[in-house]
Amino acid sequence: MELREFNNQVHSPPDYPSPSLRFQTVPDQDTSAVQFDWASPTEDAEDSKEPRNLRELPLHMGLKKALWQVQQMRVPVVSSSWNVKQSQTFRRFCEVANYILSYFVLWKRGIQKIGGHFGGGVQSYFLFLRFLVILNFLSSLLIAAFVLIPSIVFRSMNLNSTIASTVNLTDEEICLQYDPKPGALLVFYTFILDLVSGTGFMEYSYLFYGYYDNSVTESNGFSYNIPLAYMLMAAFYFLFCLICMIIRMGDTARLVVVMGGEAVGGYSMEVFTGWNHGLQGDFETKAKQNNLRHRLQLDLEEERLKKKAASLTLGKTVSLYALRVFLNLVVLILIGATFYGIAQATLFSQSMKLTGFNGLLLQYLPSMVITASNFVVPLLCNKIALLEKYSAGTTIILSLLRVVFLRLVSLGVLLYTLWEQITCKGEISNNNCKPCHYNYAQYKCWETRVGQEMYKLTLFDFLITFATLILVEFPRRIVVDHCLCKLTQLVGRQEFLVAPNVLALVYSQTVVWTGAFFCPLLPFINTIKLFIFYYCKKTTLFQNCQPATRNFRSTTSNFFFMLVLLFGWTLSSMVLLYSVTKIHPSYGCGPFRLNTAMWDVVPGAVNMLSHTSKEFLFYIGSEKFSIPLFLFSCVLLCYVHALTSVHGKSVTLLKSQCKLEQRDKQFLVRQIEELNAKVQKKQHEPQQPQTETKPLYHTETQWNQHYNNAFDLDTDT
Amino acid sequence: MGGTSSKLSKDLLSEYQELTFLTKQEILMAHKIFSELQDKENGPYGARVSMEKVLTLPELKSNPFRKRICQVFSTSDLKDGSLSFEDFLDLLSAFSDSATLEIKSHYAFRIFDFDDDGTLDARDLEKLVNSLTGETDDTRLTGEEMKQLIGNILEESDIDKDGTVNLSEFQHVISRSPDFVSSFKIVL
Repeated sequence: MELREFNNQVHSPPDYPSPSLRFQTVPDQDTSAVQFDWASPTEDAEDSKEPRNLRELPLHMGLKKALWQVQQMRVPVVSSSWNVKQSQTFRRFCEVANYILSYFVLWKRGIQKIGGHFGGGVQSYFLFLRFLVILNFLSSLLIAAFVLIPSIVFRSMNLNSTIASTVNLTDEEICLQYDPKPGALLVFYTFILDLVSGTGFMEYSYLFYGYYDNSVTESNGFSYNIPLAYMLMAAFYFLFCLICMIIRMGDTARLVVVMGGEAVGGYSMEVFTGWNHGLQGDFETKAKQNNLRHRLQLDLEEERLKKKAASLTLGKTVSLYALRVFLNLVVLILIGATFYGIAQATLFSQSMKLTGFNGLLLQYLPSMVITASNFVVPLLCNKIALLEKYSAGTTIILSLLRVVFLRLVSLGVLLYTLWEQITCKGEISNNNCKPCHYNYAQYKCWETRVGQEMYKLTLFDFLITFATLILVEFPRRIVVDHCLCKLTQLVGRQEFLVAPNVLALVYSQTVVWTGAFFCPLLPFINTIKLFIFYYCKKTTLFQNCQPATRNFRSTTSNFFFMLVLLFGWTLSSMVLLYSVTKIHPSYGCGPFRLNTAMWDVVPGAVNMLSHTSKEFLFYIGSEKFSIPLFLFSCVLLCYVHALTSVHGKSVTLLKSQCKLEQRDKQFLVRQIEELNAKVQKKQHEPQQPQTETKPLYHTETQWNQHYNNAFDLDTDT
Repeated sequence: MGGTSSKLSKDLLSEYQELTFLTKQEILMAHKIFSELQDKENGPYGARVSMEKVLTLPELKSNPFRKRICQVFSTSDLKDGSLSFEDFLDLLSAFSDSATLEIKSHYAFRIFDFDDDGTLDARDLEKLVNSLTGETDDTRLTGEEMKQLIGNILEESDIDKDGTVNLSEFQHVISRSPDFVSSFKIVL
C-alpha cells in the first residue's frame, strides 16, 4: 500500500465490507458503490474454484446480490457447472427435508420458549428429557415388534408350538410349580393394590417375564423362536441405547476436548458470550442482568480473596486439608449408613408377608427408603460442601459426583440384596437353593419378582414427583405471592435446579434399563411417564419458578450428564450379563425354563446354522480375531493422541508468532511516522491537518488490515 | 426493493434463500412482520423503517444491544439505524439457527465495537460491561471492579498485547465457547 493511501485511510472509519475482493473502496462513501476490479490477476484463479457460499460472507444484501449476479454470469463458462447445479439442488433438497422433519420434532416450540425465558441451562434439561422420551419410545417399539406382538399372535392363534429343549428332570419337579393366576373375582381395593405393586392379575401378564413361553412356533416353513428372540432383543436394546448415547455425546465431547477443561479465558468468555439474545421481556432481561452482575462480582471478589490468601501459613493449610479429609469421611459415613438402611429395608420387605394396605407399604419400603435418602443426603452434602471452601466450580462438580454416587449405588445395593436372597448368597449348596439352584421357597419365579421391584421403583418415582409438584411447589408459590411476611420473602420462589433434576432422570432411566429384561413393557411405561413429566415440569417452571440466579454452563454439563447416563447403562448391562449367564432361570415360568443358563439359547441356535456361518461366528469370537483388533485400536489411539499434541503445540507457536508480528508492525508504523514527519518538515508545505497523534498502542486499524482469512474467496491463502 | 410490495415474488424469495441462512418460511414471516411495521410508518422513508419502529418488536425491545444491532445492520446513508427489508433479512440471517460461527462472531464483534473503529479498546469494553449489567447507576460495577475486570479481559484475550481486542482475537475467544452459537440467536 502506498504511503499516501495509508495516510489517507488512517483517520477515517473502517469500511467493513471491503475485505479480500480487492475493492478500490473510497472511504466515507456509501459502500454499495463498489467497483469491481475486473483486471485483477486473481480473477483467473477464482474461475476454477467452485462459487463460494455467498451467505457466509459478512456483507450486506446489496453487495451479496451483486456478487451473486456476477456468479450467475460466470457459471455457464465454468466447466464444472453441472457440479454447481448439483450442489445447489442438493442443498435445496436438504432444506426441504429439514423443513418437513422439523414438523416431527417433538415440542420444538415449547423448548424454544423455555430457552428464551430461562436460559440455556434449563433448556438443556428439557432437551435431555426429550432425548430420553424418544429413546424409550423407539426401544419400546423394538421390543413390541420382536417379542410382544409375536407372543400375542402365536398365543392367540394357538399355532403348533414345540418346547425349545427338553431336559431330564428328576428331583427338580417341585420347581416346576408356578401358579400365579388370581381368582376370578377381585375386590376393588385388591385390584388397585395389584395394579400398583405388579402382583396378582398383573403378575401373569405380558408385563412381566414370567408370562412368555419358551416355545418355537413353526408353521408352513416359518419358524419363530421366542426365547432366542427375547435374548437377542435384550442385547439389541442395550446396543441401540449405547449407540444413541454415543452419537449424542459425540459433538459435546469434541467441544469439551477442544476447550480443554474449565474456564480458560473465563472473564472474556463470560463477557463476550454472556448475553442470550433470545431473551424476551423486561423482567427476564433485568433478571439476567442481575445474574451476570452477580457472577462477575463474585468472580472478581474470589480472585481478590485468592490473591490475598495466596500466602497461607503452613498451619492454616494443614488445618484446611484436615477439615476437608474429615468432611469427606463424614460424607462417606452418611452414604454408608444409607446403604445399610436400604439393605435392611429390602431384606425386611422380602421376608415378611402381609396383605392389604400394610402389605403394600411393606412392598414399597425399599423405594421409600431410597427416595428419602435421595432427598436428605444431597441436602446435607451441599451444606458440607459449603464448609469445605473449594472454589465454586469444584464445589458444584463435587456435590454432583456425590449425589450421582449415592443414587446409582443405592440402586446397586437394592439389586445386591435381591441377589443375596435369590441365590442364597451365591451358595448353591444351601438347603434352600439345593433343588432348583435358586431360592424356590421365596421366589417361585425370581425374574418376575425382580421385574416387579423395578416396576415399583418407576411408579414410586413418578408418584413422588407428582406429589411434590402438587403438595410442595404450588403451595410454596401461593404462600410466597400472597403472604408478605419477611420469612417468605427470604425463602422466595422456587428455583429450577437443573442438576438434581437431570440426575433424577438418569436414575429413572437406569432403573428402566435394569428392569427391561424382566419387565418388557417397562420402556413403554417410562415413555408415558416422561411424556407426562414434560408437561408437569413445564407447568411448574412457568408458574412457580423464578429465573435462575446462578448461570449454568450448559455444554460441559451436558457432557457430564451423558457420562453419568453411560455409567448407569454400564451398571445395568453388568446386571443383565450376570443374571443371563450365572443365575439359573426359573423352572416354572418364562421363555428360558429348562435351560441351565439363559444364554444357552444362543449357542444352541448357532449350532443349527450352516457350517460356514458357524465357522465365521466362531472365528469372530476367538482370540485370533480379537487380539489383533485390540492391538490395532491401540495403534489408532496413539496416532490420534500424537495428532492432538501436535495441534496444541502449533496453537502456542501461532500465538507467539502473532505477538512478534504485532511488535514488527508497531516498529514499522513508528518508522513510517518518523519518515513522514521528516518529509513534511522538509517540504514546508501546507499539509493535511495532523489530527492528534493517537498513542502508539492504539495503532490505526482498518478492516483491510484485520480481515479474517475465513472470508477469502481465494482459498489458497 | 423488497418491502413495498404486498407479496414477495418467487425470484426474490429464491434469491434471498440463496443469500441468507433463512428458510422460506422465515423469510415470509419476516416479510409479514416488516410490512406491519411499515404500515404504521407515516414518514417519507418509504422502504425504510426507522429505528424506533424496529425497536418495538418484542424480540428486540428489551435487548440491551438493540440500538447497536440496528446501527450495525443499517445501510442507510444517514447512519440513523433505519432498516430496509434487506437489512432486516441480514439481521435475521446473522441471528438465525443455521448461521455459521464466523458470521455470528463477526457481527457480534461489530455490535460490541461501540465507536466503530475496528477494535475493542478499554472504552468499548466498559460500555459493553455496562450494557450487560444494567444501565442504571445502582446496577453498574464500581470503578475498581470495572478496572480489574477490563484488565483481566485484556490479559486473557489480547494476544498481541496492543491494548485492544481485534477481530481475530475476539474470534479466538468465541471459538472456545460452546454456548455462543445458541445464545446469539433471535427467532421471530
